[in-house]
Amino acid sequence: MTDLEMKLKAEAKRLLDEHLVDVFIGFRKENAPLHPQPAFFTNSDQLDDFVYNNLCQNNLAKFLTRYPHETKIGMIVRGCENRSVNHLIVERQHPRENIIMIGVPCTGIYDWRKITQRCGEEISDVELSPGKITVKTSKNQFEFESKELLHVSCARCSQPNPISADLVIGEPVEPKDPARAKRQVETFGGMTAKARYEWFTHESERCIRCYACREACPMCYCAECFVDHGAPRWTESMVSKAGMQTWHIIRAFHQTGRCVDCGACERACPMDIRMTYITEKLNTDMENEYQFICGMDDKTQPPFAAFTMDDKTRFVA
Amino acid sequence: MNYILSRNDIPKVLEMWSKTHQVFAPQKYSNFSAFLPYEGKAEQLCLEYPHNTRYPPKALFLPQSEELLSYTKDGQASEPALDAKPKLIFGIHACDTRAMTLLDTVFDAKDYQDPFWKARRESTAIITLGCDEPCSTCFCTTVEGGPFNRQGADIIMTDIGESFHLEALTPKGENLCKDLPYASAAEDRKVSNVQEKATSDMPKAFDTEGLKTALDANFDSSYWEEVQRSCLGCGVCTFLCPTCFCFDIADEAARSKRYRNWDTCMFSVYSREASGHNPRPSRKERTRQRLMHKYSYWVDQIGKIGCTGCGRCVRYCPVGLDIRAMLREAGKLPVEVIHA
Ligand code: SF4
Ligand code: SF4
Ligand code: SF4
Ligand code: SF4
Repeated sequence: MTDLEMKLKAEAKRLLDEHLVDVFIGFRKENAPLHPQPAFFTNSDQLDDFVYNNLCQNNLAKFLTRYPHETKIGMIVRGCENRSVNHLIVERQHPRENIIMIGVPCTGIYDWRKITQRCGEEISDVELSPGKITVKTSKNQFEFESKELLHVSCARCSQPNPISADLVIGEPVEPKDPARAKRQVETFGGMTAKARYEWFTHESERCIRCYACREACPMCYCAECFVDHGAPRWTESMVSKAGMQTWHIIRAFHQTGRCVDCGACERACPMDIRMTYITEKLNTDMENEYQFICGMDDKTQPPFAAFTMDDKTRFVA
Repeated sequence: MNYILSRNDIPKVLEMWSKTHQVFAPQKYSNFSAFLPYEGKAEQLCLEYPHNTRYPPKALFLPQSEELLSYTKDGQASEPALDAKPKLIFGIHACDTRAMTLLDTVFDAKDYQDPFWKARRESTAIITLGCDEPCSTCFCTTVEGGPFNRQGADIIMTDIGESFHLEALTPKGENLCKDLPYASAAEDRKVSNVQEKATSDMPKAFDTEGLKTALDANFDSSYWEEVQRSCLGCGVCTFLCPTCFCFDIADEAARSKRYRNWDTCMFSVYSREASGHNPRPSRKERTRQRLMHKYSYWVDQIGKIGCTGCGRCVRYCPVGLDIRAMLREAGKLPVEVIHA
């Protein structure tokens, strides 16, 4: 157990023992290699298999909306999770006073798909040490520098440090390489319309409409998603080109000003589909056109959700 | 009879089979592999990949979206033609082959036959590639199967190094092998070594003895409350599962067609009724349904477990929910249960 894990666990224990929280959301040891599980501790004797490492791939803010507002929730937040929680507070999904955020400066999440691409899908064991990862398969052993395996969202993360946590454990880390985000948006935007459409088609055509991307995203908490709506029907029900493309475009559009680029959607996808190239474009537009970055505080409405009486356009009225 | 297919001859033989069959083989698709029509690109083949394709080959018989009929404004309806052209699936693993035989009990049952499924099944030959190195996430031997299980196969193929050993199990299989050289006694011996080693290497993932009783007794247990906490309620485990077969029928008015689409008990809309009432209102009921269906209701219906241990749900669940661990826990639940 790393020093960080020990400190986090001790903090979780304290919060639970002192009844400061009803539930503490963190992770526990994996059963299947590469996938530590989100865990919901309600009592400190459940903390035996607590883990926290760079393979903890889910955005825990996802689970905030499952609890009634009265539930006192303690949780681990990395930079993106902290911003997700902030934004969920903006959207009134849980009151700030009933959340205790234990912040962790984040060194980035390893993309399990990068691991399976390099080592094959039969991973039997993984060992993590600072900056390095050793992956074992039945035949081979591989070693990687951590930066090779970072998920794209983490490799370009501009806010790895928690910004409004109640307590931060660990030393602040440097932002990664935010210029990458700009480069990707520029590369995609710089393509011809035809090339962009080909890229989009290539990604969306593998979709099996399992909606793991939706279910993994903290911002997708609608009681009924537009794709599930029967009357009117917003999109074709099949894994047809139209059905899959509509899903991908509308899902992304519903994230405008709401996406924190955590990459949880991509990591959940069983078909290795890239999605954040669209949401990152929307995020960049939000930043350039409206000077808005999602989740930087827990008060500001995203531009497309905000309403003021002196709005320049009379779209709503 | 037993035959030999040398590695170097694979492209030539696939080419030969392609003359009479539409051949499907595991090939590179994006970052992983999938069963795709073989188009003479031998370098795309993924026979060495030590695991299953990500997308389950059940889709070759039960496509994720399938047209059932088309209709016109004046009330005429017509069904699409059945797919009866000869097909060959080359290199599908034993768990996935066996899954087809389980699905036959659904789509080709005594009292109900699905014509689309049946036509495809009858026109398809299956060459199973046994797994000489089962994955750590696979557990076929726990659930009545095995890395060289023959159920559903026309030919069972074993990797013996420089070549594959093919044992024809049916007349369809014999017919496919007729131009291949016979295997020698020495080659046959290699096969039994490989097969026995692979089978005995696989540990039991959980105990199936008494499992159904424990599950049935614990329908109302608070255990399901535990399980559902991290579940996202997505379609990964069921869509990728080779034995999940649920579907929904949708009329696509703009196309004047009726489709059958895969559906999953993990979605809340799956069980929502027209009135708005949902008999499986939360993930608790839904996660329970997945396990109960495979490990209890299938057993009630056909006397077999409805999971072939392919490990896909274990490998790809985005929150690392491992069916083996869930069943280990469920198996420990008290059979005399005090309802929660
Ligand atoms: S859309 Fe994807 S990257 Fe954006 S917040 Fe949701 S899960 Fe994170
Ligand atoms: S997770 Fe991937 S396959 Fe599933 S709906 Fe989303 S994009 Fe499609
Ligand atoms: S894949 Fe995992 S998260 Fe998704 S429904 Fe299945 S068990 Fe739940
Ligand atoms: S339940 Fe999981 S292991 Fe069993 S057949 Fe389905 S995907 Fe494979």
